[in-house]
Amino acid sequence: MPLRIWREPLDIDKVEHPEAEIHIIKERCKGCNFCIAFCPMKVLEESDEINEKGFHPPRVVDESKCVLCSFCSAVCPDFAIFVIEKAAETSEEEAEEIQLVEVAR
Amino acid sequence: MVMEPVFEEMEEPRIGVYVCHCGLNIAGSVDCEEVTKFAESLPHVVLSLDNRYTCSEQGQEQIKSDIKEHNLNRVVVASCSPRLHEPTFRKACEDAGLNKYLFEMANIREQCSWVHLHDRAAATEKAKDLVKMAVAKVALLRASEEMEVPIIRRALVIGGGVAGIQAALDLADTGYKVFLVEREPSIGGRMAQIDKTFPTMDCSICILAPKMSDVGHHPNIELISNSEVVGVSGYIGNFKVNVLKKPRYVTDDCTACGDCSPICPVIAPNEFDVGLAVRHGIYTPFAQAVPSTYIVDMEICLNKEGVIVCDKCIKECEREAIDFEMKPETLELDVGTIIVATGADVFDPSTLKDYGFGRYHDVITSLEFERLINAGGPSGGHLIRPSDMQIPKRVAFIQCVGSRSERSDKKYCSNVCCMNTIKDSLLIKEHWPETEIYVFYVDIRAFGKGFEDLYRRAKTGGVAFIRGLPAEIIEDRVDHKFWLIGENTLLNELYKINVDMVILSVGLEPQKDSDVIQRLLTLSRTQDGFFMEAHPKLRPVDAATGGIFFAGCAEGPKDIKDSVTQASAAAARSGILMARGRVTVEAITPIYDLEKCTACGLCTKVCPYNAVTLDKDLKRVDIVEAACGGCGTCAAECPFGALTQNHFTDTQIMAQIDAVTENDPEKKIVAFCCNWCSYAGADFAGVSRMQYPTNVRIIRTMCSGRVAPKFIERAFARGAGVVLVAGCHLGDCHYIDANYQTKKRVERFWKRMEAKKLDKERLQLLWATAAEGEKFASKIREIHSMLDKIKPKEIENAKKVFKTALGGS
Repeated sequence: MPLRIWREPLDIDKVEHPEAEIHIIKERCKGCNFCIAFCPMKVLEESDEINEKGFHPPRVVDESKCVLCSFCSAVCPDFAIFVIEKAAETSEEEAEEIQLVEVAR
Repeated sequence: MVMEPVFEEMEEPRIGVYVCHCGLNIAGSVDCEEVTKFAESLPHVVLSLDNRYTCSEQGQEQIKSDIKEHNLNRVVVASCSPRLHEPTFRKACEDAGLNKYLFEMANIREQCSWVHLHDRAAATEKAKDLVKMAVAKVALLRASEEMEVPIIRRALVIGGGVAGIQAALDLADTGYKVFLVEREPSIGGRMAQIDKTFPTMDCSICILAPKMSDVGHHPNIELISNSEVVGVSGYIGNFKVNVLKKPRYVTDDCTACGDCSPICPVIAPNEFDVGLAVRHGIYTPFAQAVPSTYIVDMEICLNKEGVIVCDKCIKECEREAIDFEMKPETLELDVGTIIVATGADVFDPSTLKDYGFGRYHDVITSLEFERLINAGGPSGGHLIRPSDMQIPKRVAFIQCVGSRSERSDKKYCSNVCCMNTIKDSLLIKEHWPETEIYVFYVDIRAFGKGFEDLYRRAKTGGVAFIRGLPAEIIEDRVDHKFWLIGENTLLNELYKINVDMVILSVGLEPQKDSDVIQRLLTLSRTQDGFFMEAHPKLRPVDAATGGIFFAGCAEGPKDIKDSVTQASAAAARSGILMARGRVTVEAITPIYDLEKCTACGLCTKVCPYNAVTLDKDLKRVDIVEAACGGCGTCAAECPFGALTQNHFTDTQIMAQIDAVTENDPEKKIVAFCCNWCSYAGADFAGVSRMQYPTNVRIIRTMCSGRVAPKFIERAFARGAGVVLVAGCHLGDCHYIDANYQTKKRVERFWKRMEAKKLDKERLQLLWATAAEGEKFASKIREIHSMLDKIKPKEIENAKKVFKTALGGS
């Protein structure tokens, strides 16, 4: 048997990876589950919740696993999901976007 | 090439026999004059002489002048072993215009006078028989021309560790085109991972990196990294190699700027750092990597499903060098020679539960140590305990972990671990002189140049060497330090030593997939699993298969210096072939009779070299003589007599059997010995003057796989007392695995004998190496004591059962 890698790398804590903030606009969702199926990190799952249209929107299982590839928003037919980087300070543009979402709700 | 059988009438043989006295070596226990006189009476012998030293200049001149004067067309020399002087006498024949395949030797020294020192009469009788056998064979020999095969002047080196690098550079500098195939994304191998080298304490990567970059820039070297050899066909001088080039997903436009890596969202343990550090999904294995370019690990990349899910690296790359559309490709290379430098793996100690590797974080392997102590490694060159990142104060090294151990099934010494530990202990002392270091060992093997000095430096520098490995490593529950408990076998007392960190000095083991290379290149491996050389002393870098050479740890564990030495040797050996541009194949290849062939294909299944292939459409077999090793096992397998082996034809061997069994066959042992092991073993018994009974008559074949059942039948049909078939040990065959056919055939013959109610003890099988002279001698003694007990009725029964074997051959 060749040498097996078993321990956690010593510098694993030093690896910088951006923290994600996943926004789901539940009212827009029509329950197609594309985002759930295509997420490479399996961050999402179907929720029990029922939205106004009568569908189950997705739910975030583990936000820390998200790597901000934004593929979910690319595949969503209803523009119902997007991801932004959780920054110390939200940029003006992002704030505006979030604002819009809040208004839409 | 398929040779049609030659049925032309042979000219009347005119045989000259020379009986050598070899001073008193032969004449001391054999009456050479009597043997000479006896030879005169044999058919076709026109001249029979004895002389003191036939191999001397005078003796050779005599043969040459007699060939011309007496018009000799066959020559027999009865003297020493053909393994010693056959080339000498063949040359003499050639000088006199006689084809060298018309010469035969009778071994009356190693296999007669030296082993029967005290029975002159019986030894003389045996010598007569041996001469009679040689004369019977020589009359049937045919002139043969050796085939010449052209050699492609390009080489393939498999493996880009230090051995592969050195071999490739040497060949490329000589002027040959070299393909260097490396499985990993970068060349460098194990040496690139190591911090310092013993005994000089040079920085490993500092001396390796320039060589790596030379490989990258050499106009004669085509470096094919991230690729594997998946198919090899052909033979010496003309190999066709298929190489699977796995996609890197990064094109040659990459400048290795490194911008892509940090933004890659996925990570994995870096194999180069033995998992002690992380790398990203797009990465370069280490700073000095050659080719200096990045690679995408598709196992973890988010785009592994074939959809571009994540394009962070693509966006970041200014040179647009990332291409997720890349596909694997297969390259076809035509090369003349191949150097196997596939290296070794490192033993995984987690199977040895008592040492707790895999459970205790502060028990590490010597390879992990190298990465920790290396300034470019995950801890920046600080030896730290993985559990708390603190520098340990008391350190233990345990030697022979996965070496010289029955328990881990690694019985061999890994060669490098002792010196590596000594070097490591000195490195610790250099950086942190206060550290207490204990080395637990079985034996310290400091055998190389400058090794003992380094060992002495470690001992006087305060490293404690304790003989006796700890039985167990026990972790203290409170402070998580370790208790090592064992016996100091020098002081004869038990020890219990407390340390902060344990380094397991792990051994080297064969690459886990070396069976793939073994199969592709038809190589053989030793019991330890490393590749086996053609001869351990005199051809240490050649494989048994022509045109293939070994370099580095693939052939056995070795340090950097030995790997480089062997690599240069392998380059020189393959360079010899390529410089000559052609190679001659000994004319002991099969002779094929198309008319007798039924295209059953049995022969194709037993050929160890795949040199015999079945052409189903034409209902015939094709023989690639250049690929043939000359074992003759195909000829032994053919039930229809369509194949025979040139220079060892059925007729010739039958004639030898007939000569042995002409008088008193029931008192004789007809022995078939393979040239490389058992015949050499019998010679060795002679050299060592081991005495054994005189009634054995040895017939030499190249391989025991040549011994066809019909030879055994013939011997029994003619009333032979016992037949002995002797070959190399299973796994040690000179012809890869041809002796497994021997085993199969003998076992089948035993069953036949049982079915016919014959005493199967009369057919004996022996595996003996060239060094096992005593084993050979004692086997003959054992058979001899058995001979008297064989009843005449038994002999008669066997004669009857096998009487069909007497009709023709």
